[in-house]
Amino acid sequence: MSWRLRVALFFFVFLFLAVIGRLFYWQVIRADELARLGEMQYGRRVLQSAQRGEIKTSDDFSIAANKVSYLVYANPKEIKNREAVISVLSSLLEEDTASISSLLSMDRYWVPLKRTVDYEIKEKIEALTLSGIGFEEHYMRYYPEASTAANLLGFVGKSDYGEDSGYFGLEGYYDRQLRGRGGGVIQLFDALGKPILAKMNNSGGKTDGRSLILHVDRTVQFIVERELKKSIEKYAAQGGMAAVMDPKTGAILAMSSFPAFDPRSYQEYTTDLYKNPFITDTYEPGSTFKPLIMAAAVDAGLVKPDTECSICNGPLEIGGYQIRTWNNEYKAGETMTEVIIHSDNIGMVFVAQKLGLKGMVSYMEKYGIGEMTGIDLQGEVAPGIRDPDSWYPIDLATAGFGQGISVTPIELLTAFSAIANEGKRMEPHIVSMIETPEGEVIHIAPKVQSIPISAKSAKIVTEMMVQAVDKGEAKFAKPKGYRIAGKTGTAQIPIAGHYDPHQTIASFIGFAPADDPKFLMMVIINRPTTSIYGSETAAPTFFTIAKQLLAYYDISPTGQ
Amino acid sequence: MKKLTIVTSGLLLIVIILAVAQVMMTNILSTDGAQLSKLQAEIEKYKRENALLNEKILQASSLTTISEKATEQGFALTAQTYLSTPLPLALKQ
Repeated sequence: MSWRLRVALFFFVFLFLAVIGRLFYWQVIRADELARLGEMQYGRRVLQSAQRGEIKTSDDFSIAANKVSYLVYANPKEIKNREAVISVLSSLLEEDTASISSLLSMDRYWVPLKRTVDYEIKEKIEALTLSGIGFEEHYMRYYPEASTAANLLGFVGKSDYGEDSGYFGLEGYYDRQLRGRGGGVIQLFDALGKPILAKMNNSGGKTDGRSLILHVDRTVQFIVERELKKSIEKYAAQGGMAAVMDPKTGAILAMSSFPAFDPRSYQEYTTDLYKNPFITDTYEPGSTFKPLIMAAAVDAGLVKPDTECSICNGPLEIGGYQIRTWNNEYKAGETMTEVIIHSDNIGMVFVAQKLGLKGMVSYMEKYGIGEMTGIDLQGEVAPGIRDPDSWYPIDLATAGFGQGISVTPIELLTAFSAIANEGKRMEPHIVSMIETPEGEVIHIAPKVQSIPISAKSAKIVTEMMVQAVDKGEAKFAKPKGYRIAGKTGTAQIPIAGHYDPHQTIASFIGFAPADDPKFLMMVIINRPTTSIYGSETAAPTFFTIAKQLLAYYDISPTGQ
Repeated sequence: MKKLTIVTSGLLLIVIILAVAQVMMTNILSTDGAQLSKLQAEIEKYKRENALLNEKILQASSLTTISEKATEQGFALTAQTYLSTPLPLALKQ
């Protein structure tokens, strides 16, 4: 090959490599940037927001749904007959004329007049064919049952980026599942700049949110809320809360607390009402704690139902403190069943001392006391159990009757599921299924958290609790013919190092029917004033609800 | 020479057929686009109507509404009656 041919060959090879290099630069290194530039020349990216998933009760009723809503906007430069438009818009949009007037006087091409306008109002405005007025359609959260289960549901507000975001309750806990993922579509334009609707690229990656199907039964929720509201008024209490659980699965059938808020207008309420006190507030459980300690001692083989209390003949002195019964009556040689029936504090000190500190702490841990229950709601707290080294003899004694120890109501309800469910403590759960926009259903299986006591011990303590209902202070309120296991509680409230004698948290926890429980329920009346006792406030509320639930579940009386 | 003429004519015919086909397809697609746009608008309309109807159904079937209406119409909760012993089918005279 002559040198001239070689030069020509090298020249062309060099040119070829230069072209490849240049193409690599444009098509690989700057590909994304150039693609965006190209898109901007022929189209505009339009954001598409995903539709939020619904929340449905067990009967498939959407307790949190989405409704069509409109943003009314104006182009002030196109408004004709300004005074008439201001007058008609302020009337239809229920806004004062001054604010509409100031918005329409702005030197802009686009001014938002009002958000979340209903379809009917939008139709009325549209029928007037006002020039310069437009509408933007979107979906907003809608709660058909108004404030029902508000603390359970939470609400949808705005994030820092102005996007819909769930806060508190289920809306907060399952926000990522519910919100879905927004997408963007490219709106193409022709040479004259007019949109080509048919050429809109719909593959914008938008995915609607998933829907939640709850264990919550709408009827049970309604009954619980109605009766709880009545009781708070009747006993002139500061508030109250209640929850119903299926002890065999941990399914929460209802949960309510008052005072509550309306999720549709949550901004009008103080922020302390947003939280769900059933999972966020701690209190001293008082006598409702006694069956748990009794069950622990029975399970450990330390006491039997007919074991007699050897210290129940009078008040007890421990570490400089005197422990008395709630009515200052003492019964020497009481059996353990009678200790539960009479809610005897001294009898429970006897049980706690038998159990010892190590046994007490060990069983508390098995019951899940001091730990999160794992309920699928935002904001759960766990107060924890003190280090065993910091316990004094008086602490062990008072823990036996539920004082000097803090729990959340959900912790106590979950611990009691062990007694109602043959010793198995279930994880409380609100959501039973998650439904994807494609129709796929993801089931959430019940979960056993621990087995703190044996089935035999659970049965023994159930019988004690049945006796407590039949012969205890609240027997007058019990529906006849049913075997219901339960226990009252009247916990004093610790204030500045001592207990306030006039303020109590009255409670009742129980399950029915005792031999094959359909529901486990807890009712708390916060600071009742007509009577401070759980047997006169929370217990009647419990039984009023229980009567209706037994009828709802078609459970016949057994005649006992 | 004759063979070349046949090939050229054939190729020309194919070009003409393809050109006509392209014009026809473009014509069809252009009207399909408008039709697609109309269908999309219709889908949006039905979606909206569906959502509005759903809202009305939820509102009407909510227990809060039903309870309010029942109270307005004079319905009240009655005391529950329990039969602790079965009723006899017939009583002896």
